Amino acid sequence: MSRLAEWSRNARLRANEVLSAYPDRRSAVMPLLYIAALERGSVDEGAQRDVAELTGLTAAQVQSVASFYTMYKRHGVGEYLVSVCTSISCFLLGADDVLGAIIDETSTPDGETSEDNVFSIEHVECIGSCGGAPAVQVNYELVEGITEEKARELCRWLYGSRPKIVLSDEMQQLFGGTCSFDWGPAEESGAISAVPSLEAYGSAGRESQQP
Amino acid sequence: MTSILTARMNEYPRDSHELATYEATGGYTILRKALAEMSPEAVVEEVRASSLKGRGGANFPTGVKWGFLPPLYPRYLVINADESEPGTFKDRQLLERDPHQLIEGIALSAYGLEVNHAFIYVRGEYPKSARRIERALAEARGEGYLGKDILGSGYDLEITLHLGAGAYICGEETAMLNSIEGKRGEPRIKPPFPAVEGLYSKPTIVNNVETISNVPWIIANGGLNYAAIGPEASAGTRMFSLSGHVKRPGNYEIIMGMTWRDFIYDLGGGIRDERALKCWIPGGASAPWFIPDLHLDVPVTIDDTATHGSMLGSGAVIVMDETTNVVAAAHRIVRFFSHESCGLCTPCREGTTWLENVLLRILSGQGRSIDMDLLLDISDNISPGLKWPPAQTTICPLGPSSVSPITSIMAYFRAEVEEMIASQEAIIV
Amino acid sequence: MSEHSESVTITIDDVEHSVPVGALLIKAAEDVGTYIPRFCWHPRMKSVGMCRMCLVEVETPRGKILTTACTTLVADGLSVETESDVAVKAQEGVLEFLLINHPLDCPICDKGGECPLQDQTLAYGPGESRFVEPKRRFEKPMEISDLVLLDRERCILCARCTRFSEEISGDPLIEFAERGNVTQVLTFPDEPFASYFSGNTVEICPVGALTAKPYRFRARPWDLESVESVSLVDSFGSKISIQSSQNEVVRINGVDNETTNHGWLSDKDRFIFEAVHSTHRLRTPLIKEGGDFREAGWNEALDLISDRLGGFSGVEVAGLGGARSTNEEAYIFGKFLRTVVATPHIDAQLGDGLDSQFLVGATPRAEIADLEKAATILLWGPDLKEELPVLYLRVRRAATELGASLIVLHPRRTGLDDVADHSFTYRPGRGPDILRKLIAGEGEYAAAREDLASGPVVAIVGRSGLAEGPRLAEAVAAFARDLPGGKILPIVRRGNVLGALDMGLSPTLLPGRAALASTSAKVELERLWGPLPDAIGRTSRGILEGLADETIKAVFLLGSDPARDFVDPALARQALGNAKFVVSFDLFISDSSHYADVVLPVEGFAEVEGTVTNIEGRVQKVNRMVPGPGQSRPSWAVLDDLSRRLGTDLGATSAESISKEISAVAPAYRGISWDLLDWGQGREGVLVPLSESDQPLQYVPVDPGLRTVSVAGMSLHLGRVLYDDGVLTRMSPSLAALMPTAAVYIHPRDARALNLEEEQHVEVITGTGYADLAVAFDDSLARRTVYLPANLPETAMVGSSLEVTLKPIEDFGEES
Ligand SMILES: Cc1cc2nc3c(=O)[nH]c(=O)nc-3n(C[C@H](O)[C@H](O)[C@H](O)COP(=O)(O)O)c2cc1C
Ligand code: SF4
Ligand code: FES
Repeated sequence: MSRLAEWSRNARLRANEVLSAYPDRRSAVMPLLYIAALERGSVDEGAQRDVAELTGLTAAQVQSVASFYTMYKRHGVGEYLVSVCTSISCFLLGADDVLGAIIDETSTPDGETSEDNVFSIEHVECIGSCGGAPAVQVNYELVEGITEEKARELCRWLYGSRPKIVLSDEMQQLFGGTCSFDWGPAEESGAISAVPSLEAYGSAGRESQQP
Repeated sequence: MTSILTARMNEYPRDSHELATYEATGGYTILRKALAEMSPEAVVEEVRASSLKGRGGANFPTGVKWGFLPPLYPRYLVINADESEPGTFKDRQLLERDPHQLIEGIALSAYGLEVNHAFIYVRGEYPKSARRIERALAEARGEGYLGKDILGSGYDLEITLHLGAGAYICGEETAMLNSIEGKRGEPRIKPPFPAVEGLYSKPTIVNNVETISNVPWIIANGGLNYAAIGPEASAGTRMFSLSGHVKRPGNYEIIMGMTWRDFIYDLGGGIRDERALKCWIPGGASAPWFIPDLHLDVPVTIDDTATHGSMLGSGAVIVMDETTNVVAAAHRIVRFFSHESCGLCTPCREGTTWLENVLLRILSGQGRSIDMDLLLDISDNISPGLKWPPAQTTICPLGPSSVSPITSIMAYFRAEVEEMIASQEAIIV
Repeated sequence: MSEHSESVTITIDDVEHSVPVGALLIKAAEDVGTYIPRFCWHPRMKSVGMCRMCLVEVETPRGKILTTACTTLVADGLSVETESDVAVKAQEGVLEFLLINHPLDCPICDKGGECPLQDQTLAYGPGESRFVEPKRRFEKPMEISDLVLLDRERCILCARCTRFSEEISGDPLIEFAERGNVTQVLTFPDEPFASYFSGNTVEICPVGALTAKPYRFRARPWDLESVESVSLVDSFGSKISIQSSQNEVVRINGVDNETTNHGWLSDKDRFIFEAVHSTHRLRTPLIKEGGDFREAGWNEALDLISDRLGGFSGVEVAGLGGARSTNEEAYIFGKFLRTVVATPHIDAQLGDGLDSQFLVGATPRAEIADLEKAATILLWGPDLKEELPVLYLRVRRAATELGASLIVLHPRRTGLDDVADHSFTYRPGRGPDILRKLIAGEGEYAAAREDLASGPVVAIVGRSGLAEGPRLAEAVAAFARDLPGGKILPIVRRGNVLGALDMGLSPTLLPGRAALASTSAKVELERLWGPLPDAIGRTSRGILEGLADETIKAVFLLGSDPARDFVDPALARQALGNAKFVVSFDLFISDSSHYADVVLPVEGFAEVEGTVTNIEGRVQKVNRMVPGPGQSRPSWAVLDDLSRRLGTDLGATSAESISKEISAVAPAYRGISWDLLDWGQGREGVLVPLSESDQPLQYVPVDPGLRTVSVAGMSLHLGRVLYDDGVLTRMSPSLAALMPTAAVYIHPRDARALNLEEEQHVEVITGTGYADLAVAFDDSLARRTVYLPANLPETAMVGSSLEVTLKPIEDFGEES
């Protein structure tokens, strides 16, 4: 029986749309990995097998692609994936201290997930926010110009209020500082998990959906 | 100051990304006009005449690249929105704040290049950019600016948004094509160049977001008018991302030609806390560094920067003040390239990691005096001769990029490195 | 390669050379004597320029640049420096990079002594390590399949293994994973590297990262002796190198050649050597006494045979086999039977092949190499991946790399459907109707028919399955020969079947592709051999029926196992059980030799010397590496001995003397000598016939006018699998373990209609046999068709018939 029977109807529809967006089935591997991640909770072996079935690739081929890209989390992540940029510009402006504060505040070592599965902490390379260094992303939603203290507050806030949807503008307002550039008006979309929030992948949260 | 790319967002800071604003400021009229009145060749001709050079890092003349397409179909156009070079965040602003400008640029370029399917490759860590593009694409489709028979012209264009998933190397154009094809983002051997054999082995043009965002202005105002802006070999305006120890970091759209002194001290407001400038990187993490003694009065142009042994690259300027430990800074950059190496070719896979480890050892107080020559020799085995522009033993320029910080600190701060090694003091443990 | 390829002039290290246009620099340089070091480049795969070991300096308008020789095409005026300071420094740098993380465990590595990394380290490497950081660690060897182990620490990431699997064999189960410095070769956790071709990756891995379990720690390369030979696992004729240590075969490698296997082997070709030294090999003659075998000496055994033969007239004796022997052995077998015994009843095929005249004589004949030029390939026959795996590789290459359009017709999905341009499944029995539609280009066949209009067309024809009969292939051939540039390659699987037929082991053939019916050929042969029997010979079916009804009383089996291999094994068993006298020449006690009165131990693969003829008619030399076990002898010597006891001298003093006789007697084999094959232009084999006009037997395929057979119930598709229960596989422990468990395959929708569920046990009843099997679903099967893998332990007695009935076991239980 098809593995995809376990997928939600919506996910199957999105998968079909994605498959038809390219001249070649294999091209859909990357978007399908995101969709599978949302369906299975991570890009684990099951998700990779799902994508193999959808594209006609072998599981080894899917694994080869999935393991190349850092955003396909094969071992699962907590509710909030906190990614701290420690690349050169953020480093120059104290990113290591921000990372240290976050590790300390969440009691979660770099690269690991907290025991209660609320936080996953990672240091990452440049996330294109150097003008607003140091920068942090929560489920890929950005906060710029953060400080050690604000980073701690951010973690406490996440832990305490457990937002279902992580909104960049909200976090920036509460914990951010200098921005790389004027962000313009606030966005109403945010992330519902550590899969980049995009309509096509079924992961674009809307404020209005918030309880 | 002439602003082309950022004019709309400066004028309409609240809603420059909206279709309504875009249309209200003349948006898509150029596309309408071009489809009705211009031949594809004429569009290409304007871009050639503009002397526009690629803004993705290599500064290659866009019109010349477009001319390499053989008369084979289908062809593809791929927009490089993978912006990942440390220090660079200009494309993010163009994507988030003026997505329709890019889409109109793509439509015009695609029409000129006789392309019916274009791709925008947005890096995975830019979900907001991707959402803005996604929405703008839907709006443009809704208004008939994209899709079948655009504005009744008989011309069809579909644009597919492809989201990356965390791999700097996918910014390299052939790695990007592999990534879109659902493969590992490993660069291909060139030749064949993408223009001849690119996506799905078909002729393909890859251009940067900023490059293509210039196209609506060029078509609207004429290529020669664009060429007339700024110094001859550095025509047009250009986005610079300024970061590091400056008072006013951010993106600046400028006409090239000012000196680095003006750039850092006027535009950037000078060094934070009135400290002394130690060095800066003029064009992204891949570029060799500049120092005040030698380079403050060099003009900010493509050619002058190259003459002085570096490049404008992706337009990312990273400023370091006197407090900076240059070994630690170099390590951070080398670590980036080692982390982002695709692992395909030996010198990059092994060399970048070796460099990183030696630097880390020095930083942890276990440097040896021979390490300086070792660093240079490993670098030489990645980029023979340690010259500029760099030679390479690697498949793509990522490996040699990791060499820039090494040669820079050895050229300008060797005594400091020597001292660090001698002190056997741990900076990072 | 075209014969009159143009050349260009290039300069390598200041010396001008003329090299073929379009060549890769690395190859062109090697051919003129400059070896540029390399790891990732392999002449049979696309260049990837990954390892960077082959960096050289090339002159360009912008000055000298370093570039990889494996990705550079030669061009007129190209000037290259392979030993300049810059080039040498770059190469040394790459080597150092490769070594910093390498475990340097050469003393315990299988590859030690034949490792390019080791060699190049000696040649180009730095004296001592400047690398003081900890090395990259991986968990020690992983078993990535039943045959292959992977040691990631030794891997230099050349991607030869992954590229082979994706590009050449088409089963990408082994791939790069992770990236950057932790890039590694990996399989998916619960999906082993179960490829029929996995051994090739072990062979081409330039270091000891991939090792083969059957060879691991068996020998050190410098202890190995080796000899070139030909694989006898199937009829493709793959060139191999047999390697031994202390008189024991320990390894088989592929030998690169243009004509057949391009250096590749199937794992069956590669690991079958285990059977050579099986403890089950026969070491002395055996004589049956009171139902049991006892060991005997040669004299006693041969005396007994000559004694017993005196009790039968010639036509009461028959011979079966020879399809796994050398041409020399087959020739002597035929000469013995026809002249000493004076019987016309001879057949090397066991009812599972094709008409022997069609097989040897069909014209116009395709060579394997014609696949390189084919515009369209029509494949109507067995699943090549299962039956002739290396031919599968060649067809796959034609379809994927060379742009041929591939059309496949088979009752179910085959290994080639993935790369086929048109593939069709059909119900066995309906073949003639499907062929008519294909010829007419009706409906779904229109596009395929259109492709068949562009030539050259190569038609590979054979039996799709054993249930379907041999004649359809002739009808397909009759159609294909009239297509533009149409050529035919009829195929059967067994080792040297074509050679055996060429030696006359068929009731209708004389040695050298002469038809027995041809008076002139017969007269000519009688001049050399003496009188030949007048009676008309019987085919294997006729012989077995004769044994069953006692019109034939004695039978000689030359390495053949009809009890297993004959299409109707029940008949074969009944026949052998009924026979008055059975003599078996064999390596093992097979199912058939159980019935023998005398079993004679003979030398086999890797032990005998001689020639064989592959499926395209290519004669190649097989060579002796080790002596046979115990008292075993070559069968020709035994037959010669026996004939002298019977008062005739066959004159076989050595295999080479037989070969000389063949080239004198057999029209198609004239001019073929061992010298030519071993040292001369025949090193890649000699095709018989050399040209259409030399072909002694011109068999123009005709449509035998078959009608579609309508089967009331389910049709049977009895297809072979690579690892079936043949005796050699069974005696090679590594391969025996790979034998699949048989099941009865059925389309899920048919299953629903029949109320069958997956894994449910059913009784499978054919016209000639039965089996108890579990049901498995296969949605690639043609509807109303049942697929059974042939010759597995569970299906050995099924036999072939077009119609099959499935009975749920419960029903059966209730009835009885
Ligand atoms: C390692 C590497 C990373 C690159 N990253 C980017 C990038 O993030 N964005 C980009 O536009 N070009 C990048 N490039 C340059 C592209 O390969 C290509 O030259 C560019 O997209 C062409 O567009 P342009 O001519 O409009 O500049 C990169 C090149 C290399 C070698
Ligand atoms: S396992 Fe061997 S063949 Fe495969 S990549 Fe590693 S070194 Fe190359
Ligand atoms: S042999 Fe040329 S790069 Fe590996």
